[in-house]
Amino acid sequence: MSPMLTIARREFRSYFDSPLAYVVICLSFLGLGLIFFLWPGRGFWQQDRATLQTLFYFAPAGLSILVIPVITMRLMAEERRSGTLEMLITLPVKDSDVIMGKYLGALGLVLTLVFATILYPLFMFKFPWVLGTLDDGPVLSGYLGLILFSLAATAVGLLISSLTDSQSIAFFLTFFVLGVFWFSGIMADYLPGTVANVLNFMSFESRMEGFMRGLIDTRDVVFFLSVTCVALVIAFRALERRKWA
Amino acid sequence: MSTDVMIEASGLSKRFGRVRALDKISFKVKKGEVVGFLGPNGAGKSTTMRILTCFISPTVGSAKVHGYDVFDDPLDVRKSIGYLPQRAPLYTDMSVEEYLRFTAQVRHLDENRYKKQLGKVIEICGLAQVLNKDIGTLSHGYRQRVGLGQALIHDPPILILDEPTADLDPNEKAEVIRYIKEIGKDHTVLLSTHNLAEVEEACARAIIVSKGRIVADGPLDEIRAKTGSVRYVVTIDEQHAEAGQKPPTATAVQEAFQRIEGTKSVRELPTDENAHKFELSSAEDADLRAQIFRLVVSNNWTLLELERKAQSLDAVFRDLTRSDERLDRGEAWQGRGADEDEADEDEADEDEADEDEADEDEADEDEADRDSEAGDDDKSKSQKSKADDDDDDDDDDDDDDDRKANKEKR
Repeated sequence: MSPMLTIARREFRSYFDSPLAYVVICLSFLGLGLIFFLWPGRGFWQQDRATLQTLFYFAPAGLSILVIPVITMRLMAEERRSGTLEMLITLPVKDSDVIMGKYLGALGLVLTLVFATILYPLFMFKFPWVLGTLDDGPVLSGYLGLILFSLAATAVGLLISSLTDSQSIAFFLTFFVLGVFWFSGIMADYLPGTVANVLNFMSFESRMEGFMRGLIDTRDVVFFLSVTCVALVIAFRALERRKWA
Repeated sequence: MSTDVMIEASGLSKRFGRVRALDKISFKVKKGEVVGFLGPNGAGKSTTMRILTCFISPTVGSAKVHGYDVFDDPLDVRKSIGYLPQRAPLYTDMSVEEYLRFTAQVRHLDENRYKKQLGKVIEICGLAQVLNKDIGTLSHGYRQRVGLGQALIHDPPILILDEPTADLDPNEKAEVIRYIKEIGKDHTVLLSTHNLAEVEEACARAIIVSKGRIVADGPLDEIRAKTGSVRYVVTIDEQHAEAGQKPPTATAVQEAFQRIEGTKSVRELPTDENAHKFELSSAEDADLRAQIFRLVVSNNWTLLELERKAQSLDAVFRDLTRSDERLDRGEAWQGRGADEDEADEDEADEDEADEDEADEDEADEDEADRDSEAGDDDKSKSQKSKADDDDDDDDDDDDDDDRKANKEKR
C-alpha cells in the first residue's frame, strides 16, 4: 500500500477511535431527519411530492456549516500542535502524500455520511415503504453534486487547518469561509450588478441548484473540482513552508 | 563519495526570521560512530537534527546522510534513518502495536520482516506489557520507549535521537544507554542530550554546540584537554585554629587564594562541615598544591582537605557554553526568546541543581575578571545588544577565549 493510502487509512480510523465520528454521524442524521420531514414550508410532508430536493438543499448547508469544519479542523492543526507532524514527515513520505492522505481520510468520513443518506430514498420509495414513484435522474445528479461539493468543502477545510496550529481557530475559520461560500448566493439577491455576479459565481448554493433539479452543468463540475485542486495545492505549499520559515 | 561517512554537514546555517539558530555548522560522522551532540537549550541541536532528517531546510549549506543529499533525495535520506524527535510526539489515540504497524507500513516493511523486527523492538525497548494499550494512557517514559521503538522498527543504518533519555527514570536511562552502546557497534548514532554522564558513558566523541556554532568537536579526552584548566578543592577549618590564633573568615581565605600566582578563579563550594570549602582553577601545566599548602601554613590555618582534579566534562561544558547561560539569566534576553527548546530547561539544571548558586557566584566573578581585562562595562554591553540583536553574538563572544577561535567578524 502506498504511504498515501496508509496515512489516509490511519486518519479515517482515528475518527472512529475517538467519539468524534459517532457524535457527528448521529447528530447529523438526527438533524437532517428533523429538517427533511418537518422544516416549515419545505418539509417533505408539506411539499407532498415524491422528491428529495429538500435533502439536497439542506445536506450541503449542514455539511458546510457544521460537519466539515468539525471533521477537518484537526487534520493538520492538531499534528502541528502536538508535534506529531515531525514524526510523520520524517518517515519516508512525500509532503504531497501527507496532504493527500489526510484529505482522503477526512473525505472518507464526509462521504460515509453523504452515502448514508441513500437510506432515505431506499426506505421511502423502494422498501419497506413506497410513498410514490421517485424520479431517479435528479436523485443521481443530486448525489453527484453533493459529492463534488464535499470534495471542494473538505479541501477548503484542510487548507485552513494547515494554516494554523489551533483547532478552534481552524474550526471557526472553516465555518466562516464555507458559510460565506454557501450564503453568498442569498446575499447576491440584495446587492447590485457586478458584486452580485461575483457572489453568485462563487456561491456553492447557486452551483448546487442545477444538480438538485437534475441538471449537470460542466461549469459547475469544473468549478467544484477547481476549488478542490487550488485548496489542495495551497495546503501543500503551506506544509512545505515549514522548511523555510 | 566514500560510504564511510554516514552524516556530513557542510556549512549549515539556519535563520528563523532575525534569529540565527545555526551558524555554519560542519561536521562528519563516520560509520559505526556514536556521537553525542551537546549544548544548552536553544543552542541549535534540534534544528540540526531537523535539517538532517529533512524536516526543515537549511538557509545556507548542505548536508548528506548516507550519501544522499537532503535537498535532492529527501526520501532516501529518511529511509536510511530512524529518528526520535524531542519528547517523542506520538498519536495518542493509537495503541502501541497499531502505531508500530503504521510506521512499518509507511516504511514498506512486509509482514514477516515486521513480525521479526517487532519482536526485537519489544525486547529492546521493553514494550511487551503495553503493546495493546493506547499511547495516550502511557507515562512519558513509556512514550519515549515507543518513540525509540518506531525509530528502530526498520533497522536503519543511522539513528538520530533527540534527547532519547529525557523523562526516563535512572534504570530506564541506563538501559537505553546500554542499548545505544550496543547498537553503536554496527550502526551510526547521533544523539543529543543534556546529561553529560551519559555522553561519557555511551559516546566516544562529542560535538558541543553553543548559540548555533560548534565550539568543540572531537574525542572526549581531547575536549576535556581543550579548556586546559585544573581544579583544586581546598577545605579549611573555620572553628579551630592554633592556640592564640583566630579562625579565618571565608573572605579572608578567598582573598588569600586569589593572590596565589596562577589562580584563574576561586569560588566557594557548599559544605556540611564547619569549614570553608573552595574550588580554585588554574592552567593545566601549573601545579598550585605546594603554594596552597604553604599559604595555609603561613597563615596558621588548619587544612582539612586538598585535592587536585582534572577538568570534568561538566565543567568543560559550562566553560564552553557559559555565554549562553548568561544570556538566559537575563542579559540581552530579547531576540532569542522564541526558541523551541526553552520549555524543558529544568532537566538541564537538574544535575547541577546543588551547585547552581555557586555557579552564579563564579559566573559573576568571572565576569568581573573579564570585564576589567576587556575594559568593557557589562551594562553598556547589554544596552548595545538590546539595540542590535545581530551584534550581541559578537559582543558576548569577545569575553570568551575559547570561542574566539570560532568567531568570524561580520
